Amino acid sequence: MPPVKRAWPRAQALSANDLPWLVRHDAGRCVLCGACTAACTFGAIEAKLPPRGASAAVWEARKEKGRDGGEARRPVIVQRAEAAHACTGCGMCEKVCPAGAIRPVRNADNRWGVLSRTAEGSGGAPARRGGRGGRSVVETPSRGRTLDAVVIGRISQMTDPALDSERHTFELRSPLGRLLRPGELPLRVEGGRLALAGETPPVRWIYPVIFSDMSIGALSTRAWEALALAVAWLNEECHLPVRMSSGEGGVPTRLLESELLRYFILQIASGHFGWNRIIESLPRMKADPAAVLIKVGQGAKPGDGGLLPAAKVAPHIQAIRGVPGATLHSPANHQGLYSIEEAVQKMHLSMNAAFGFRVPVAVKCAASATSVAVYNNLLRDPYHICGGFFLDGMLGGTGAAYAVSLEHTGHPVVSVVRDCYRAAAGQGLQGRIPLWAGGGVGMNGDAAADAFKLVCLGADGVILGRLLLQLLGCVGNEHGRCNACNTGLCPVGICTQDERLVRRLDVDAGAQAIVDYMRAFDAELRKLLAPVGNSSLPVGRADALVATRRDVADRLGIAYAC
Amino acid sequence: MLFISTVNGHERMSTRDLLLRIKSAVEAGETDFRIEASGQHDIGGPLWNAQGRTLHFEVSNPGQRVGSMALPGTEIVVRGPAPADVGWLNSGGRITVLGDCGDTTGHCAAAGVIHVAGRAGTRTGSLMKHDPRREPPELWVLGTVSSFAFEFMGGGRAVVCGVDAGGGGGEHPAPSVPLGERPCVGMVGGVVYVRGAVPELPPGVRGLPLDDADLAWLAPGLASFLAAVERPELMKALSRWRDWRKIVPDMHGGDGDGAPGGRDGAMRRFRAHSWPEGGLFGDVLPDSGRVTDLVASGDGRLRAPVWDAEAGPCRECLACVRACPQAALRRRGATGGGAPCVFSVEPARCIGCGICVAVCPQGLWRLVPVPEGAPL
Repeated sequence: MPPVKRAWPRAQALSANDLPWLVRHDAGRCVLCGACTAACTFGAIEAKLPPRGASAAVWEARKEKGRDGGEARRPVIVQRAEAAHACTGCGMCEKVCPAGAIRPVRNADNRWGVLSRTAEGSGGAPARRGGRGGRSVVETPSRGRTLDAVVIGRISQMTDPALDSERHTFELRSPLGRLLRPGELPLRVEGGRLALAGETPPVRWIYPVIFSDMSIGALSTRAWEALALAVAWLNEECHLPVRMSSGEGGVPTRLLESELLRYFILQIASGHFGWNRIIESLPRMKADPAAVLIKVGQGAKPGDGGLLPAAKVAPHIQAIRGVPGATLHSPANHQGLYSIEEAVQKMHLSMNAAFGFRVPVAVKCAASATSVAVYNNLLRDPYHICGGFFLDGMLGGTGAAYAVSLEHTGHPVVSVVRDCYRAAAGQGLQGRIPLWAGGGVGMNGDAAADAFKLVCLGADGVILGRLLLQLLGCVGNEHGRCNACNTGLCPVGICTQDERLVRRLDVDAGAQAIVDYMRAFDAELRKLLAPVGNSSLPVGRADALVATRRDVADRLGIAYAC
Repeated sequence: MLFISTVNGHERMSTRDLLLRIKSAVEAGETDFRIEASGQHDIGGPLWNAQGRTLHFEVSNPGQRVGSMALPGTEIVVRGPAPADVGWLNSGGRITVLGDCGDTTGHCAAAGVIHVAGRAGTRTGSLMKHDPRREPPELWVLGTVSSFAFEFMGGGRAVVCGVDAGGGGGEHPAPSVPLGERPCVGMVGGVVYVRGAVPELPPGVRGLPLDDADLAWLAPGLASFLAAVERPELMKALSRWRDWRKIVPDMHGGDGDGAPGGRDGAMRRFRAHSWPEGGLFGDVLPDSGRVTDLVASGDGRLRAPVWDAEAGPCRECLACVRACPQAALRRRGATGGGAPCVFSVEPARCIGCGICVAVCPQGLWRLVPVPEGAPL
């Protein structure tokens, strides 16, 4: 038998063992149905004949039949050792395999940290990925999350009256809008009665949860619609007045010109994408939006603007945003703003004016070591046109971002919420500009507990983002599974504009999962309120909390318990 | 005509009071305004007449954001200069400023026309866009613009004539610095016409000479612009087209880079009664609502096999036909007959798994990515 000619790899060649995930394939179980290679959106696996040569099977065939068994070679599924086709661990292959013959396994020996920045096709470009940031913070085993070191420790037992979560009436409403101090209310006495002598800023009293800021470019049409549908259902069928922020990337005209708009917060960020259509719809709006949210920054990648890769700038996105099908970077800063004062003057005043001073206007910043200074400035706003301060901590994030921003920038939200609340309370201004907190809320599935603790520390409500995608079927996690939101190849049809992948997502089932989760959230929130003895949200009632870590207790100013 | 003077002795009308007064007058049917402002912001937008009549504004001494968010049917003339953000987010208004403009003029404008009779400040034209439902937005500047102009521009047309505002002399030579430092960073769409020297441009953006299509738009547009800013005598000096360049981004195309559910159908029923018919995106991206499996055939395939007779001799071993898990491969031409053997794929069965590619001993099958929406 002639020797087999081979091209042997060089030392610098990639192998699967350099990649973050290894695909394990059991040829003995495989039925060669082709489902795994067909389902993989990343092209990470392919069918290949095993190489010619005397494998164990060939030796057996020779013994029995006296020939080399070459024709009996049977394809196997192999992993492509290419950075551009690296397995992301999403596990769709395992999901579709009828024989349990294939699955991805995490590869501790990978060299992805360097390969993602240097491999062919990405040479010199910063590494990008999707998904949640701050993994290194999350994964520190000795510390864990701050909120997990905080317990609701003040339980009413023969002290203040405990309530019954099933039977008591609770008032779970939070403000979005500027609240005046009693002395600032334009009141006069008319015939022995108090009457309003002027206008007061608009305030919405809503459920203490806002669905956050995921744009119609980042999400597929179906994913965005599923979120919107869940919001409408929660409002109209469940009496849970949850609001949803549009994200910045345009808002469907059909929503803008529908009564449903009252459940939605219109976001304006540095790219101002889609605002021309929002403005054009003004004459035809049947309802005012819930609010306008000015996004200055986001917690997952503070200091960085939005990033929509070209693969996701589909024709309808191009039309709504008014741009060609190129990679879209939103500027890191609002280009017309140079100071806090100007931000208040320009953005807040203009957005108030655009909607006739009938719609609250709030601002969202990435949580930062400077958040208290910003909040203090906002609190001094003499025009009463800032209707909320949204703090977005690290651990959030959904779309595409530079990996270095996701992993190494940001600020946990918990201490910032506490600092802002205490700064306001020190001036007697707490509750005047509502504080809303996001960034990793519910990342372990317990959003109600996270929300309750943040409220006790001073937040008026919380912002949920990534959790909603997980309810729609996102398989990504903080440990590197999938997180391919930046590729346009989302295997479950959420963060993609490829219609073949979008069709994988069931809008009604996704909306139903979100509705079910929020109903559970509401019941769980009451379960936490009742033992504390509050029938309304205990904003700033940090005495209800104890910390099981001394450093957390000291930093947040709550009791230490052990 | 409604005349509003905003200063009465030592009392100055607040922005809020002025805007609400204008709004209520518009709602009452007023269409002509003359406003002697004293720095009030946001004059001129977004406003609309219920009968679709045009709203005219003549403004002096405005604050920031004249004509910001202006809608089609709004026409604004500013007598004199205007500070920052003229025509910010312009959505269709015609705005003429008979003087210099401040920073971020035309920022995020997506429709409408802005005429500037003087210079414009830093970040002018940044993030301009083009909504395909409208004509591209226009931004005309008679003078020069400051640094960082046209950053992140996504669409629309801007024209910088580079006429020295302090001018005189009658010659109006093309300026050496019509644009300030670092223009067009992050520009992905639209076009900027510049008279004079084009400075160094960032990667992905380049300066080109004008072609006939450019002139067909620019020449008549320039005439009406000069009429609007009351400088028609400049037409001759500005019509030396060899002085002009256009700045455009390079061609785009990337940066290298069953039945619906819901429990008991309740969500589906809710959608039928309480949701825009055809879905929120039905007007821009119709969606049948069909949900497919992770493994799909036909137009749901991500990849498809292609048989290439040129790649080598087919020995008609039929390994591919036998291995295909979907029985999707067909052979035409008889073995030993005159007609050569040809293989084809039935898209309705094929899932694009690539097993045929693996088993072919001659390497005649290739698996190729299928672009979205490609014909079968």
